[in-house]
Amino acid sequence: MLKLTDVKLKYGYVEALKGITLEIKEGTITSLLGANGAGKSTTLRAVSGLNHIYDGEISFMGEAIHNRSTDYIVKQGIIHCPEGRKLFPDLSVYENLLAGAYVIQDKERVKENIQRVYELFPILSDRRKQMAGTLSGGEQQMLAVGRSLMADPKLLMLDEPSLGLAPIIFEQIFDTLIELKKSGTTIFLVEQNANAALHISDYAYIIEVGKIPLEGPASELLKNDKVKQKYLGG
Amino acid sequence: MQQLILGLRDGSLFALVALGLVIIHRTTGVLNFAYGHMGMFAAYITFSCYAFFGFPLLLAILTGLLFAVVLGMLTEKFLLRPIRNLSHSAMLIITLGMLMTLEGTALWIWKQDTRQLPNLISGKPLIVNLGEVFLVITRQDLLIFILTAVIVFGTFFYLKYTKVGLAVRASSQHEEAAKLMGIPVGGVYGFAWGFGTALSALAAILAAPKTYVHPNMMLNLQIQGLTAAVLGGFDSLPGAIVGGLLLGVIEQYVGEWISADLKLAVALIIIIILLLIKPSGILGKSSKRRV
Repeated sequence: MLKLTDVKLKYGYVEALKGITLEIKEGTITSLLGANGAGKSTTLRAVSGLNHIYDGEISFMGEAIHNRSTDYIVKQGIIHCPEGRKLFPDLSVYENLLAGAYVIQDKERVKENIQRVYELFPILSDRRKQMAGTLSGGEQQMLAVGRSLMADPKLLMLDEPSLGLAPIIFEQIFDTLIELKKSGTTIFLVEQNANAALHISDYAYIIEVGKIPLEGPASELLKNDKVKQKYLGG
Repeated sequence: MQQLILGLRDGSLFALVALGLVIIHRTTGVLNFAYGHMGMFAAYITFSCYAFFGFPLLLAILTGLLFAVVLGMLTEKFLLRPIRNLSHSAMLIITLGMLMTLEGTALWIWKQDTRQLPNLISGKPLIVNLGEVFLVITRQDLLIFILTAVIVFGTFFYLKYTKVGLAVRASSQHEEAAKLMGIPVGGVYGFAWGFGTALSALAAILAAPKTYVHPNMMLNLQIQGLTAAVLGGFDSLPGAIVGGLLLGVIEQYVGEWISADLKLAVALIIIIILLLIKPSGILGKSSKRRV
């Protein structure tokens, strides 16, 4: 569904991605795991067009998208839920969700999607008129995930959805991802919590300083000694 | 009472100028120094259409407003968007450059002579009996007041309840997140610049019967609009309106009690004092958010 071929990207003079090749198959959860600064977020930013690559190719359902603008890429069905939530702080919970559905023209569909998010995270329904900036950290994360579901993503890319969450909310969000997969959404997950990510993933890539030294089915990586040592805490 | 009414009359024009400044700043983060001059140029276009080409006044005004929309959008697209990633001061310098260029070009095309635009509506002025004094309010002043009110409420509801409005507010709060929602942020910025500049043009055209059309006609209004915006906290639309009306009234009282010469200086004194003691403005937010 999504293919990156030898993707290279620079921030100024710093080469952040030094040739990334990976593929996300339709209907799977695929993780990209690695330490801080390895290039995880950058990979997602390259896919969603926030940063442009200088070499290589990114294609989505057969179409090259690496020279496209972010709004075009979003319209194709790639939704990127960014690191650090990036909500609209002075819009209400409801308006944040509405903004998430910007590319959906059908008003009925927007209403349905809002209802679906409220069912998924009932607390958001209680807080619908509250400004997003006044929510707690966990609620903000739920809103960020909920907002990214509003545009009916074909491919949902999540950047560190577990960051700074209490275990119970963490589990809730990961359960949501499994539910989404069942309903046919393809998920590209970037995580520091490799253990949790591997347990819900079908396939995973390890990224180190802008390169991918290791990849494989998640169940195999869980048993891999190198992975255990470096990412799963021994 | 007399000062209050006259102050509100002047203030509504300040509010109109401030509204456009705030919309541009809030959406794109640029303080537009050339704002008043862009309106001045549009007023000249209106004047030329009216006086040279014989357009009916209303059509001439519409042409001027349309010119302002295009001028604002082109400025954003070709002068500011390419340097968005550089720095805030780079964008300020660009708008300063625009100010000089517009002033020079206006002088070059239309020369030094002051030109005149007629009132939009004329007729018997309203006379208000305040007991001791009679207050004369021209129809043009009344029109400015009503037009400002309509535009203010229209803008407010448009931003609050339409999809474009939501896109504008989202883009102004978080550019990158807005992009990730599929909002064409560049288009939103163009919209803000086009609309904002049209407000400056409208203010210039409405003020023209009094200030005359002149390369520096908007100089005072730019300062007064800026003061009104700062009074209101710079990013608040209601703040810009309240700030504008308040400044109008303050100026009237200063003119009456101290000296008319001080009227404009008051605006600058207010900016300085406010920035020192309450930079968030009278309606600015002081509440803290949780992160």
